Amino acid sequence: MATTACFIIVSRNDIPIYEAEVGSATKREDAAQLHQFILHAALDIVQDLAWTTSAMFLKAIDRFNDLVVSVYVTAGHTRFMLLHDSRNDDGIKSFFQEVHELYIKILLNPLYLPGSRITSSHFDTKVRGLARKYL
Amino acid sequence: MEEYPEELRTPPVSLVSLVGCPELHAAISKHLHSEQPPINTLALPDFSKVSLFSRTPKGDDPSPAHVVPGILKRDWLLKHRTRVPSVLAALFSSDQLSGDPAQWLQVCSLLDQIKAVLRSRNIKFLLVVVVPHGDDIGEDRMLALRKRAELDSKYVVILKPDEPSELKQSLSRLGSALAELANTYYRDEGKRVKLRIEKKTSSSSSIELHIRYCFKVAVYAEFRRDWAEALRFYEDAYHTLREMVGTSKRLPAIQRLVEIKTVAEQLHFKISTLLLHGGKVGEAVTWFRQHNGSYRRLVGTPEAVFLHWEWMSRQFLVFGELLDKSSAAITNISSLALGTADKPLSEWESRPAYYYQLAAHYLKEKRACLELALSMSETGNEMDNGAESVVPSAYVGQFARLLEQGDEFAMQSLTDEEYIRFAVVEGKRFQDSYEIIALLKKSYESYSNLKVQRMGSFCGFQIGKEYYMAGEFNNAKQLFDDIASLYRREGWVTLLWEVLGYLRECARKYGTVKELIEYSLEMAALPVSSGTDTQMKYRENGPAGPASLARREEIHKDVFGLVIGESGLSSVERNDDLKITLDNPLHLEIDLVSPLRLVLLASVAFHEQKIKPSAPTLITLSLLSQLPLTVEIDRLEVQFNQSNCNFIIMNAQRPPLAATADDKQGHRVETSSSLTLSTNKWLRLTYDVKSDQSGKLECTSVIAKMGPYFTICCRAESPASMEDLPLFKFEDRVETSPTKDPALAFTGQKATQIEEPDPQVDLNLGASGPALVGERFIVPVTVSSVGHAVYSGELKINLVDVRGGSLFSPRETEAYSLDSHHVELVGISVPEGKDETQLDTDEINKIQKSFGLFSVPFLKCGESWSCKLEIKWHRPKPVMLYVSLGYSPYSFESTAQKVNVHKSLQIEGKTAIVISHRFLLPFRQDPLLLSRIKAVADSDLPASLPRNETCILLVSAKNSAEVPLKLLGMTLQEDNEDTGRPCSVRHEGEDLLEPALLVPGEEFKKVFTVISEDDSSKLTIGTACVTWTRDSGSKAASVLTKQTLPDVNVESPPLVVSLDCPPYAILGDPFTYLVKIRNQTQLLQELQACTTCLRRPTDAQIYRDSSKILSWVSTLNCCIYYIHISLEASLQGG
Repeated sequence: MATTACFIIVSRNDIPIYEAEVGSATKREDAAQLHQFILHAALDIVQDLAWTTSAMFLKAIDRFNDLVVSVYVTAGHTRFMLLHDSRNDDGIKSFFQEVHELYIKILLNPLYLPGSRITSSHFDTKVRGLARKYL
Repeated sequence: MEEYPEELRTPPVSLVSLVGCPELHAAISKHLHSEQPPINTLALPDFSKVSLFSRTPKGDDPSPAHVVPGILKRDWLLKHRTRVPSVLAALFSSDQLSGDPAQWLQVCSLLDQIKAVLRSRNIKFLLVVVVPHGDDIGEDRMLALRKRAELDSKYVVILKPDEPSELKQSLSRLGSALAELANTYYRDEGKRVKLRIEKKTSSSSSIELHIRYCFKVAVYAEFRRDWAEALRFYEDAYHTLREMVGTSKRLPAIQRLVEIKTVAEQLHFKISTLLLHGGKVGEAVTWFRQHNGSYRRLVGTPEAVFLHWEWMSRQFLVFGELLDKSSAAITNISSLALGTADKPLSEWESRPAYYYQLAAHYLKEKRACLELALSMSETGNEMDNGAESVVPSAYVGQFARLLEQGDEFAMQSLTDEEYIRFAVVEGKRFQDSYEIIALLKKSYESYSNLKVQRMGSFCGFQIGKEYYMAGEFNNAKQLFDDIASLYRREGWVTLLWEVLGYLRECARKYGTVKELIEYSLEMAALPVSSGTDTQMKYRENGPAGPASLARREEIHKDVFGLVIGESGLSSVERNDDLKITLDNPLHLEIDLVSPLRLVLLASVAFHEQKIKPSAPTLITLSLLSQLPLTVEIDRLEVQFNQSNCNFIIMNAQRPPLAATADDKQGHRVETSSSLTLSTNKWLRLTYDVKSDQSGKLECTSVIAKMGPYFTICCRAESPASMEDLPLFKFEDRVETSPTKDPALAFTGQKATQIEEPDPQVDLNLGASGPALVGERFIVPVTVSSVGHAVYSGELKINLVDVRGGSLFSPRETEAYSLDSHHVELVGISVPEGKDETQLDTDEINKIQKSFGLFSVPFLKCGESWSCKLEIKWHRPKPVMLYVSLGYSPYSFESTAQKVNVHKSLQIEGKTAIVISHRFLLPFRQDPLLLSRIKAVADSDLPASLPRNETCILLVSAKNSAEVPLKLLGMTLQEDNEDTGRPCSVRHEGEDLLEPALLVPGEEFKKVFTVISEDDSSKLTIGTACVTWTRDSGSKAASVLTKQTLPDVNVESPPLVVSLDCPPYAILGDPFTYLVKIRNQTQLLQELQACTTCLRRPTDAQIYRDSSKILSWVSTLNCCIYYIHISLEASLQGG
């Protein structure tokens, strides 16, 4: 499992709708902010890259020191962004794919308004489980 | 990059030396420097200085047992670039050579000396013979010289300084010879060192020497511009160096690492420069990443960590600068296939901004570690003394203590502790904060230029943080404000929280209460998710504190403590009067785009969209707050665009504040049992509103007062068009609507329309019957007040074509030609008796063709006023007449609400008089008109008249209207009076003495005699003019109806037959019927006449003479026949 990993889902209008620190390392104190800052800054690159490829998994698109940003863009232009220090590309890909399925299930909920924050604890638990499994 | 020595930063340039003939040195140097590639020159003033190049006597080849003291000598590169030439060019003038034997001998000895010196260093030699103009040198002498110098003929160059063309030629020859020799020199040197490498590796000698030799080979290759070889050997040196890290034991641990890193830095710099110069940006970036990867973890011992971070920072900075400088990096970036498949490079890794940002990041690390190191060593002062004498030693990356021993200086190596002390003192000299800000700024600007906002924001945030730490709050605040707006827009709450925390602190430091409160309120209202804060420990040094519900509540309490006046802000350094007081009240405005909408959102809905004036309607006022704790509002003030509707809601649970009594301004005061806002729960209040003024009634704002001196003015929003709060969209949030009635929540508006009061004034249009074309038709308009007084009344009159004609505005009608107005408004008259003085000059009185504006004087209640519209029809057509009266029932003020009364009337326009005419010939006289004979069938032909005959014109005027008319006169008018009429028209008898009354359908006829006098074939009769008036009791103006009579043809009849017979005959008594035929032609005419009798066929008829009469009628003569007829029956003559 990766020591550092920060996972964020960004809606199509750039608002983060889900965020989770899924790393196993003991948290550095200022890490969460820094992670979000890096992920937010990486949105600029995603914006350019997303239209150059038909693949959903954009792989590592940005790095900050030893931290790498991997991104997965859904068809609805919702972006899954993962900041991590592991090199396990396949694991990350599987993680994204499974989270995508979870996200689709959330979208199928008629009470969920697309673009709003995901506060389902079930979703949260599942995502953390997937992170433990794949990252 | 500027810290690096010059010789390292620039590519090496070959160095040659000149000696002899000093007057020519300048010209030669200049020429060589402009060569491609350039050659640097070292000019020696005289031959004695050549000995400078001789090798200093020392152990040329250190034995393997000898410990190598360092990797690279600090001054080796400089030496080869400035002090050791590759070629020595000796200049001799021809007279030195061809002079007497003593001189020749001197030359020979000089040559021997030079050769001896050069041989020790393998420096190449070249001879230049300067031949002045007109002089020459013997072939044999040249040969001798060449032999003496042991030179090939091409390395003896003849220079003729006096002839410009020759000089240029020989200079270029000299240049190429020098370049060739220099190249040979560097190649030979390289080869020599390479040989040594091979020898060393076989004998497994010290690794330092290997690195040194590789470096030297690479530098020699660079002199030769053999970039590929240079790169290969630099890389070799670099890799060997990396292997040294764990193995070398030569120096104390810290200094050993410092030396290795410094050398690595130099080698890396060279490699990156070479790669970037070759345009291989991708490779350079990959190389940098490897470099970074292999050294990043070589942190070293804890007390020297700051040195590592400083070094790291420098790597990023230098590489960023290199990228910046190489223009290839910018142009080729898009076409670069970045990285390899498994490790692709991100786009930013080829942008300098990325490196600056990271350089700043590492510099921050360095600063943190340095501060730690400083705090650990308390004995700062004594350190300084020890550190003063530390200088860089002869080897790259090494430092030594300089000891003064009399005049002698000696180097003493340092222990690690001493070195650290020295490094700490050095580190203290730099202001890292400014360095970091400068780096980040570069990066920020670069990102801004690329329009990469989010990256830029991250940089901006870091700059802001630095400014904040440096105490420059103004700069910090500007940056943070920019960034906050981006995070607000994109809803990155955690980041926004952090930025707001800094902004709040800046405001606190500045003592600006308003901003402090604003930022605090925004923070308190942010939807910071409380789910994550339990697992995460945030650091406490960020001024915002942890983003959690507890912290929000804390901030909320702080703010309201301040607002209510219970607490001042104690933590403020600059001024302690950061309190909200009577002198310093606080008023916040929240509009539709304010971030503070989270704090207070006011939605206002009228229950009805249209109300009558003075009728009460309900208004629901809903307030929503996202603050974490409940808020008690003391007083709410609801403001409308009609200020007399404003009202105040007091909180019954609060004692009325003294201040509120003053500013009530007579507004309605309501009391509510509770004005408590809970988190995310609408506070709904419904009240009556009544307005007397018609028009739009809109709620503009709601002012909430909390505490004695704090008010929030919140712009009212309609529930129908209200935008929801983007930050507060949660999956599990219950959708709440501002009003209980869901329909109202969807359609409710903050404005309502108040209708006009019902008019209490009658407007009457008293028109009777259809209008007649031509007359001034009078439409009496009566304004009678039945309940309202009429102030500043205004009548608007519009005439509109019934058949879909638009209401002409006065401007449009102006464009129309006059003809298009078949109906026009001629005037408006006020009946006599009403004094005209009431109509002031400034009152409006405008009349256009189809539009009129007329002011109505002041009318008291019960009074009435009337006027008459005069409308004239030019054509018969129906017209719609619209009359509207606008008045204000209460006062003369122009702004007062106007009441409008509208009336319309369709009026038919009819033709009153139809004029027709007929021509009659004289009694029993019949001129022969040839045109009639020819075209019998054509009845459309204009009437023909005989010339010089008296004709009778019968003009009749028929009343086609439905009312009786009085005909006042009928005349025939000449059309063009100046030329005179070509005929004489006479009227028998006088004009009408009394008007003739014509009932509808009746005809009036008048007889005129017409005698054509002119020779022309056309005769213009003129215009029939009929003057008439309505037969009504009142004196109506007479109307003139005109109709132009058509022209008639005039012919001269060849024959005129006149008949004459008695008016009656007596039965049985014959009578004479006289037929007179007049020949008007110049010729004799043959006549044939027969008499027939038009009878009923059964009646017998006797013609006494029915024989054909045949005779000749001579010109201008009359032939008269008398026919005697006796009638047998009672017949009238035919």
